[in-house]
Amino acid sequence: MIVEASSPTIRQHGSSRVMVPGMEHLLRPARHFLSDGSFSVQYPVGYTVFSPRLTLPLSRVMNSQACAFRLSTFHLYFLKSLSEDIRNTVGNVPMEWYQDYPHIGYDLEGKKIFKPIRNKDELDEFLDKMENPDYWRTVHDKMTSTDIRLTDEQISLVHRLQSGQFGDVNFNEYEPYIDFFSGETMIHPVTNRPQDKRSFIPSLIEKEKVSKMVHAIKMGWIKPRKPKESDLQFYDLWAKEDPNAILGRHKMHVPAPKMKLPGHEESYNPPPEYLLTEEERLAWEQQDPEDRKLSFLPQKFSCLRSVPAYSRFIHERFERCLDLYLCPRQRKMRVNVDPEDLIPKLPKPRDLQPFPTIQSLIYRGHSSLVRCISLSPSGQWLASGSDDCTVRLWEVSTGRCMKTVEVGGAVRSIVWNPNPAICLVAVLVLLNPYLADKLVYNATDQLIASYVEPEEERPQPVQWQVPEIEDSDKGFRLIITHPKSVKQVTWHSKGDYLASVLSDNSNMQVLIHQVSKRRSQNPFRKNKGLVQCVSFHPIRPYFFVASQRCVRVYNLIKQELMKKLMANCKWISSMAIHPGGDNVICGSYDSRLSWFDLDLSTKPYKVLRHHKKALRGVAFHKNYPLFASGSDDGSVIVCHGMVYNDLLQNPLIVPVKVLKGHTLTHNLGVLDVAFHPTQPWVFSSGADATIRLFT
Amino acid sequence: MSQLQVRFFTENAKYKVDDVPFSIPAASQVQDLSNIINKLLEAKHTGHSNVEFDFLVRGNFLRTSLVNHMEAEGISTEEVVEIEYVQRFMAPQPEECIMHDDWISSVDTESEWILTGSYDKTARIWTQEGKAVMTVAGHTDVVKDVAWVKRDGVTSLLLTSSMDQTAILWEWNVERNKLKARHCCRGHAGSVDSIAVSPNQTKFCSGSWDKMLKIWSAVPTDKEDELEEQRDRPRKKQKTEQMGLTRTPIMTLSGHIEAVSSVLWSDNEEVCSASWDHTIRLWDVETGNMKSTLTGSKVFNCISYSPLCRRLASGSTDRHVRLWDPRSKDGSLVLLSLTSHTGWVTAVRWSPSNEQQLISGSLDCVVKLWDTRSCKAPLYDMAAHEDKVLCVDWREDGVRAQHANRLANFVYINLSILLKETFSVQFPYALWTILDCG
Repeated sequence: MIVEASSPTIRQHGSSRVMVPGMEHLLRPARHFLSDGSFSVQYPVGYTVFSPRLTLPLSRVMNSQACAFRLSTFHLYFLKSLSEDIRNTVGNVPMEWYQDYPHIGYDLEGKKIFKPIRNKDELDEFLDKMENPDYWRTVHDKMTSTDIRLTDEQISLVHRLQSGQFGDVNFNEYEPYIDFFSGETMIHPVTNRPQDKRSFIPSLIEKEKVSKMVHAIKMGWIKPRKPKESDLQFYDLWAKEDPNAILGRHKMHVPAPKMKLPGHEESYNPPPEYLLTEEERLAWEQQDPEDRKLSFLPQKFSCLRSVPAYSRFIHERFERCLDLYLCPRQRKMRVNVDPEDLIPKLPKPRDLQPFPTIQSLIYRGHSSLVRCISLSPSGQWLASGSDDCTVRLWEVSTGRCMKTVEVGGAVRSIVWNPNPAICLVAVLVLLNPYLADKLVYNATDQLIASYVEPEEERPQPVQWQVPEIEDSDKGFRLIITHPKSVKQVTWHSKGDYLASVLSDNSNMQVLIHQVSKRRSQNPFRKNKGLVQCVSFHPIRPYFFVASQRCVRVYNLIKQELMKKLMANCKWISSMAIHPGGDNVICGSYDSRLSWFDLDLSTKPYKVLRHHKKALRGVAFHKNYPLFASGSDDGSVIVCHGMVYNDLLQNPLIVPVKVLKGHTLTHNLGVLDVAFHPTQPWVFSSGADATIRLFT
Repeated sequence: MSQLQVRFFTENAKYKVDDVPFSIPAASQVQDLSNIINKLLEAKHTGHSNVEFDFLVRGNFLRTSLVNHMEAEGISTEEVVEIEYVQRFMAPQPEECIMHDDWISSVDTESEWILTGSYDKTARIWTQEGKAVMTVAGHTDVVKDVAWVKRDGVTSLLLTSSMDQTAILWEWNVERNKLKARHCCRGHAGSVDSIAVSPNQTKFCSGSWDKMLKIWSAVPTDKEDELEEQRDRPRKKQKTEQMGLTRTPIMTLSGHIEAVSSVLWSDNEEVCSASWDHTIRLWDVETGNMKSTLTGSKVFNCISYSPLCRRLASGSTDRHVRLWDPRSKDGSLVLLSLTSHTGWVTAVRWSPSNEQQLISGSLDCVVKLWDTRSCKAPLYDMAAHEDKVLCVDWREDGVRAQHANRLANFVYINLSILLKETFSVQFPYALWTILDCG
C-alpha cells in the first residue's frame, strides 16, 4: 500500500483504507502526482524507474540524472530495520503530526527520539547531491528523520523489485501450477461455499432452449442418435476353425476315464469271501500281470493302523510319469468308417432278374462222368459227351434222351455248330444229330457231300475221312483223324471253320480246319507253352489261345499277335468270350475266375474267388448279361456280368446265385457249364454222370 | 371272441336247413361245422345219412378255424356271417393203371376211348377200362400231341403230331378196327408240339418249334395238295406213301419269337397260343391277325381255356399256375396264382363241367386238383406217379355225360399220364376217380 505522504486526507490504519468523503479529488492529484514521477529515484542513464506498486506503465522512465525520490514509510521501516535497531514505536501515523515537536517519536524504552539536527538548506542539499557519491543511494527515513545509505543488497533488492522480479533471490517464480479451483464438480470441494441461488432457480434461457429442442424433436428435425453397432467390432477369430484340423486349436476335450470305485476287495479288512484261497493265489501269481483280473492281492488286517506302507508307490509314480510322458499329445484321428460302406455298392441280385435260381430237370442216362455239353442254336436240343464213350442228345424241355451215339473213346469236347443252317456237332468227328429241320440236315449232308477233291493234293497235317456206311447211318459225317488225342474243339461263328487243340508238346497243338474244303492247317510254328483251350472271336477275325498262364490274342488276317492277357493265375482251365467280343473270362485250376476287358488292360479287370476248388468250365450267355462257372466243389455260380456300350463304364459284375445239385464223385464236381441260347437257363454236367438244368 | 353269429345256406335243395342265425364257437373247424349241419339235417329229415360238407365264406373255402379265416380275409366278426356249404369232393382214388412201354407225351379222352401219344413214335387207342385197342404207327419220330377230331358212327377221325415236323390225320374204323392215314400235314420246319381241333371240328391248329402256328383243314378229302419242294429221294417217297395224302396249311400265323408250346381254340374264330417267349397270344383265325398278347415272366408250358368261366389257365416254368382273363384289355393281368408245385408245370386242364376246378401236372411227379375258390392250397394232391407228369386230361363218364345237371352224379376220371425213363420198360399211367356228388 502506497500512500502519498503529503496527502493529509488519507489515513491508513493497517490494511484498511479510509476514504474521507468529498476528498476523492485530493487522492487523484496524489496519484497524479505519483504518476507524474514524484516518487522518482535518480538513476544512472539507462535505468528505468518503476513505481513501487508495479502498476505504473513502463513509459514512466525518468531520464534525469538527479531526481529525488521518496519511499513510503513501509519501505523505510523495512530498510531501517535491516541496518540499525532504531525503532520508532509511534506506528504508522503521518509524521506531519510530529512536525512541530522536537522529537519524532518514541523508542522501545519509551524515550523520545529526537529529531536530528538538520541544518542543511537547499544549497547544502544541492552540494551534497553534487559531491556525495553515495547520494543516489541515500534515502531519508521519516520515522527517524535520518538519511540512510542503502547497502548493495538493498540496492539490488530495489532493482529486482523495480524490474518486476521477486524480492527473494531464492524464490522460484515458475513453480509447477496447481489448479485447485477447476470447473469440475468435486465430491469434496476445496471450498465450503454454499451454492448460489441461481443454481436453484430454473434458468429461463435454458428453458427456452429446451423448449426449442423439444419442438424440434416433435417436428422431427432432430433425430435420435443411431445406436452404435458394436457387434461388428469384435469377432471370434477361431469361430470358423475346423476342430479336426491337425493344426487347429486343441479343443477336443477328452474326458478322463472314470475310475472304478473301490470295492470290498480293496478294503483293508475285506469280507472273507473276497480273500483269495491258496489255489487262487497260486493261479494269480502264475498269471501274466496283464491277464490278471485283480491287479493286487486282497489282504486282511486287523486294524487300519497295521496296514503297511504301499510298496509299489514309487513304482506307480514312475509308471504314471511314463504314461504322461508317452501319452499322445494329439488325439489320434480314428478312421470312423462303417466297414459296410467300403464294400462297393452293387445292385441287389433280385433286381437283376432273370437268372437261374433253382434246379428244374436232371438228364440221366450217362454211365460215367459227363465231360462236355453243348446246346443246339435253337435251344431245343442238348448234346453231351461222356467218358462212357457216348454222345447223347437230349430234349431240353423234358429231359428225354433222344439219341445215343457210340464214339470210339472218351469225349473230351463237344460243340454244336453255331450256324443254325448247318446241323453238325463237332466231337472228334463231325456228327449229324438228325435233330433239326429235315431240310437243314439234308442240306448239311449235301454240303458235306458237295466236296470236290482238289486237283493237286496238298500236304495235310491230319487225315480227313468219310465214314463207312454204317457209321454214316449212326450220324457220322466226317472223321478228322488227329495224331494225338484232342482236348478241345470249337467252331467259328460262321460254322465253317473249326479249331481243335491237341494234347501234344510239339508245335502242333492247335489246328484249324475248314469243313467245306476239308482242309486243315497249323497256324503256329512255335510252341509257346501248353495250350489249354482256344476260341474264335464272335465277330472279328481274332483267335484266342489260352496257355497255362496267359491268353494270347492273334489277328488271323494280319497273322500277328495282338495282345497277351496275363491271367494272374497258375493254370487256366477254361475260357469264354463275351458275345460282344470285348470281354473274356478265364477259369483256372486255382479256383479263380478272371474277367478281362480287352479295351482296358491286359491285366484282369476283376478276379473272382468265389469257388472253393478248381474251376472246370465257364460260359457266357448269348443274350442275357449272365455268366456261369462250374467248379470241382460241385457248385455252379451264376454272375450278372453287364457290359455297357459306353466305353467309359466298366462292366458290372455281381454274383447272383450259387447253384448246387451235383454230388461229388472222385473229388470232381461240375465239369462243364452251358447256357441255353434263348432262356436264362444254365446247364451243368457233372462227374456224377448227370446233367442238370437250372432255371 | 368265443362265439360267432353265422347263417348257413346252400344251393342244394336236398341239404337245405332253416334260414336262422346260429351262434357257434369261433374256433370251429370244417369238421365241426359239418357235424352241425348233419345234426340239423338229422333233426329235419329222419333217415339222413352222414355227409361231409365243405364251407365257403364269401366265396373262399374254409380251411383253418373260422376266426382265423375271417381274420385273414378281413371279414368283420361283429355281423352275422353268411356261410355257404356244399357237399365235399371226395378224395380222388387211383382207379386204374394203364401200362405203357415208353414215355407218354400226350393224352386225349373221348367218351369211350382214350388216345395217347408216346415217345416210341406211336399213338395208342385204349378203352376206358385200359385195354389197348389200336396202335397208330407211322410217324418217324416221337409223337408229341394227339387229338380226337370227331366221331360219326363207326368211324372216328384223330390227329397226331410229331417231332418229324408233320401232323397226320387218321381215320379209324371202330368196327373193323382198321386205321388209315388220310392226310399228312406238312409245312412245319420244327417239331409239331401241340395241336388243337376247333370246336366245330372243321379246322385244327398246330404249334411248332419253328415259332409258327398253322391252321389246317380237318376235313378229309381225296385231293392232295401240292408241296413246293419235290425231291426225288427214295426214303421220302416211302414215307409219303405210308402217311397218306399231303396237306398244306390254310394259314400261317407268325409272331412268336420262340417255340410255341401249346395251342387251343377258345371259340371257332379264335386261337390262343402259349410260347417260350413268355407270351400268350390270341389270334383271329379269320383274318390271321394277332388280337392281343398276355405277357408273363417265364416260359409257358401249357395253357387251358374253360368256356364255363372264360378264363385261361397257364402253367409255366416258374412252378405257378396262373389264371388269366383273355378278354381283358390290359394284357398282363393275372387274376390268380396257384402256387404249390415244386417243378415246372407241364400240364393244366380245366374241368369240362365244373367252372371252378382244374388239374395241373408237374415235373415234380404230382398232379394237383385245384378249386379257384381256395387258391392258397390245392384241394388234393395226387401223388401216385413216380416220374414226371407231362400231360393230364379229364374224362366225363360216357353214360351220364348227356345230363349236364347239377343234381346228377358225375364220375370224372382224371387221366394223368406219366413219363418214364426208357430203361424202365413198364410204367403205369393212372386213372383217377373223383366222385362229385354236388
